[in-house]
Amino acid sequence: MKTATALALLMIVAIGLAYAASEQEVHSITLPTLHTELKDGPGKMKTETLCAVCHSVDYITMQPKFSRAQWSAEVTKMIKVMGASISEEDATTITGYLTVQYGTGN
Amino acid sequence: MICKGSTRRDFLKTAGVVTAVAAVGAFPTTIFADSKKFATFPEKTDMILLTSRPPQLETPVRYFEELITPNDAVFVRWHLANVPTSVDVQQWRLKVGGNTEKQLEMSMEDLRKLEKVSYTAVIQCSGNGRSFFDPRVPGGQWGSGAMGNVTWAGVRLRDVLTQAGIKAGSVEVSFKGLDGPPLPATPDFIKTLSVDMAMADDTIIAYEMNGTYLPMLNGFPARLVVPGWYATYWVKSLSAVTVLDKPFDGFWMKSAYRIPDDPCGCVPPGAAQKKTIPINRMTTRSLIVKPSESSAMRAGKPADVMGVAFSGGYGIQDVLISTNGGRTWKTARLGSDKGRYSWRQFFYTWRPEKTGMYTLTSRAADGIGESQPFSSLWNPSGFMRNTIEKVNVIVK
Repeated sequence: MKTATALALLMIVAIGLAYAASEQEVHSITLPTLHTELKDGPGKMKTETLCAVCHSVDYITMQPKFSRAQWSAEVTKMIKVMGASISEEDATTITGYLTVQYGTGN
Repeated sequence: MICKGSTRRDFLKTAGVVTAVAAVGAFPTTIFADSKKFATFPEKTDMILLTSRPPQLETPVRYFEELITPNDAVFVRWHLANVPTSVDVQQWRLKVGGNTEKQLEMSMEDLRKLEKVSYTAVIQCSGNGRSFFDPRVPGGQWGSGAMGNVTWAGVRLRDVLTQAGIKAGSVEVSFKGLDGPPLPATPDFIKTLSVDMAMADDTIIAYEMNGTYLPMLNGFPARLVVPGWYATYWVKSLSAVTVLDKPFDGFWMKSAYRIPDDPCGCVPPGAAQKKTIPINRMTTRSLIVKPSESSAMRAGKPADVMGVAFSGGYGIQDVLISTNGGRTWKTARLGSDKGRYSWRQFFYTWRPEKTGMYTLTSRAADGIGESQPFSSLWNPSGFMRNTIEKVNVIVK
C-alpha cells in the first residue's frame, strides 16, 4: 500500500516535471514600446504617422544631417522599394520636414 | 591607400607616407563621437539603442575585453518590423525543399539527430562602424559594437541539404526566417548563398550560442551561421531553406547589401557605385578596446593596451601597435587561439615616458597577408569599415 502511494506521488511529480519542461518549449518575449519624440515643425504629424507604419521614428533621429536630395532619396526608397503607401504630396511634406528638422536645411 | 589584399611590404612602404600625416596634426577623433542612448530588451543586457521597431541594439565596446561575448550582450539587428516574439519549439519546423528530391519539414528533434558541430566565430554586421564614414551615409548608425565573438553549435547545412537531396542544375540556396514585413508590398527578408557556399564544411544551422539556446532577438530557435562572412547572411529564426535552379533576384540580394565590384570594395568618397556584387567575406579588422578614448595615464607607469583582431576566416597572423600615430610600430602579444573564425585578443604593455597627447593605433594582418588600410575605404552603403582606428589618450 505504502509502495503504491509512493509510486502515485512519484508519478504526480514526474507529470509535473514533464509539464514544466513542455511549458518551457514555448519561448516568448515581450518587446518594450519606446517612444521617440520628433522635433516640432510643419510636417511633423505626417512624418510621424506615415513613417511609423513600418518603423519607429528613431530611424530618422539616428541619421546624420542630410541634404534635401539625400532625404528625398530616402523617402523615395521607402515608397518605391519598401512599399510605403505615401502620396506624392505627402512625400514632399515629409521630405521638407526632414530637410529642415533633421537635415542641412537645403 | 592600401586595398584589400595588400602585403606587409606595401604596408611598410605606406607607413612612411603616414608619418608625414601624423607629424602635421592629430587624427580626428571618431570613436564615441556621438551621444549614446541605452535600452534593455528581453534577454539582453543594457545595450546602445539605435532603433526600437524593429530592434537594432549595439554592444558597448567594454564587452570586447572578453574573448567570448556573452549572449545577452551580442548585438541585435532586424530589418522588418514583424519580429518573432514567441516560438513553440514543439511546433517549429524547418522547411527544406525547392529543387530537391524530397520536401522536408524538420523538427528540432530531427536536427539534433544530425552530427553536432561547434566552433567560435565572429559575427559582424556589414555596417559595423558606418557612423564613422566620411562623408556620412544613410543606414544604421553603428559605432564599433555591431560585432561579437561567439561559440556556435548546430548542424551542417550540408547534412540537412543532403537529406533532402539537391537535384542537378541547382545554383543557389535561399534562406528565410520567421520575421515578416509590415506591409504586403515590403520585400521579405530572404538571402541566398551559392550551392558551394551552402555545402561548405563550416556553414551551419546553429541552435546554440555559447552552450545554451539563442536569445529570441538573436534568432531563436536556430539561425544560419556563415563564418567569415558578414552577418547579413546569418538568417535568424530560420524557417525555410529552398534550393533554387536559377539565381535569386529578390531585393535583399539584388539591390541591398551590395558593394562596388572592385578589389577594395570601395569608390572615391562621395561617388556612386556602378558595377556591384553582393557583400561577402569580411575584411581584416582590429579594435583597441583598452584604453578607451580620452583615457588618462601616468608618465613612467606601465599601461595595458588591449584589443581584438579578426579576419574573414584566415585567423590573425600578427597585430602591430603604434603609440605615436603610426610613426613606429611594435608587435603585440596575441591571446589564445580559438580557431580561424574567432577573434584574437592582443595585448601590449606601453610605458609612456613623457606627458602629452598620444594617438594609439592597431593594425592586424591575417593568415593570407590581408591587412588594414590607413585611409578609410569608402562606399555609399557604409559597409566593410576596416581602416585602422585611432584612440587618443592623455599622459599626465
